[in-house]
Amino acid sequence: MDEFERELRQAFARQPAPPGLKNRIMQRRRTASSRRSFPFFAWNGLAASFVSVSLCILAALAIYGGYEQRQAEQRRKAEDVRQQVLIALRITNRALNHMNHQLAAHGRARQESGDN
Amino acid sequence: MARDWQPDFEQLVDNHQSMVFSLALRMTGDRGLAEEIAQDVFLELDRHLGKIESAAHACFWLRRVAISRSADALRRRRVRGIGLWVELEEHHGLQLEPRTSPLGGRLEGLLAMLPEPQRAALILRYQEDLTPEEIAASLDAPVATVKSNLQRGLKLLRAKAATHLKEFVREKEYARGV
Repeated sequence: MDEFERELRQAFARQPAPPGLKNRIMQRRRTASSRRSFPFFAWNGLAASFVSVSLCILAALAIYGGYEQRQAEQRRKAEDVRQQVLIALRITNRALNHMNHQLAAHGRARQESGDN
Repeated sequence: MARDWQPDFEQLVDNHQSMVFSLALRMTGDRGLAEEIAQDVFLELDRHLGKIESAAHACFWLRRVAISRSADALRRRRVRGIGLWVELEEHHGLQLEPRTSPLGGRLEGLLAMLPEPQRAALILRYQEDLTPEEIAASLDAPVATVKSNLQRGLKLLRAKAATHLKEFVREKEYARGV
């Protein structure tokens, strides 16, 4: 080993750790171990349950929304049909009235020609 | 297999915090980052404590992981485009321990200019006083590669130090002249 290497060894002596490093490590260790005491799988299970429940609620809302939409559509169609039936009845009524008037007029005309 | 050695985490931190911190500091050149790495390394040791078989194994494991995590941190910093040592040198100046010789104080700065594998080999050689075989085991590299890195690193460092020493002498002479 030459002078330079000796110099190198001296320059590269271990540096003291910053004050409080050990305490910070122990603190982080305590935090990590308390996190570990509530196991990963428990967190995982909770998260999975939460996601499942959320998905169920979303699916129920979607189904209910779809059902409501279909009901409204059916109600609208039924109303259209009702309006069409009413119009048809009105037309029929008018036609029957017309026929009635014509028959009455025809009856009166025959009566008058018989009297004469 | 039964083990006689019972690991005491707190004791391990006490015994090796200076080593782990110094390795990380010399690899990265950043005290904050080195402390962060040291904390992470010890927490990783805590998780792997069941696999540690002896005090020597713990020391070997810590050296290996400290160098590896420091290299990872440097890689991450490089990806983000930050040249740590260059930044420290240019803007803040290296806050190193006072040295007895003019060269001593600058050797760590010069070390930073070496390629990473050479730097790691030199740190383990001169800080930890390991043999090339032990360094090879720590770095998981062939002994021949480690020897070559040591030789090249030393040569490069010697050349840089010679240049630096000349500049230092010139500055001293200039200061005396003024």
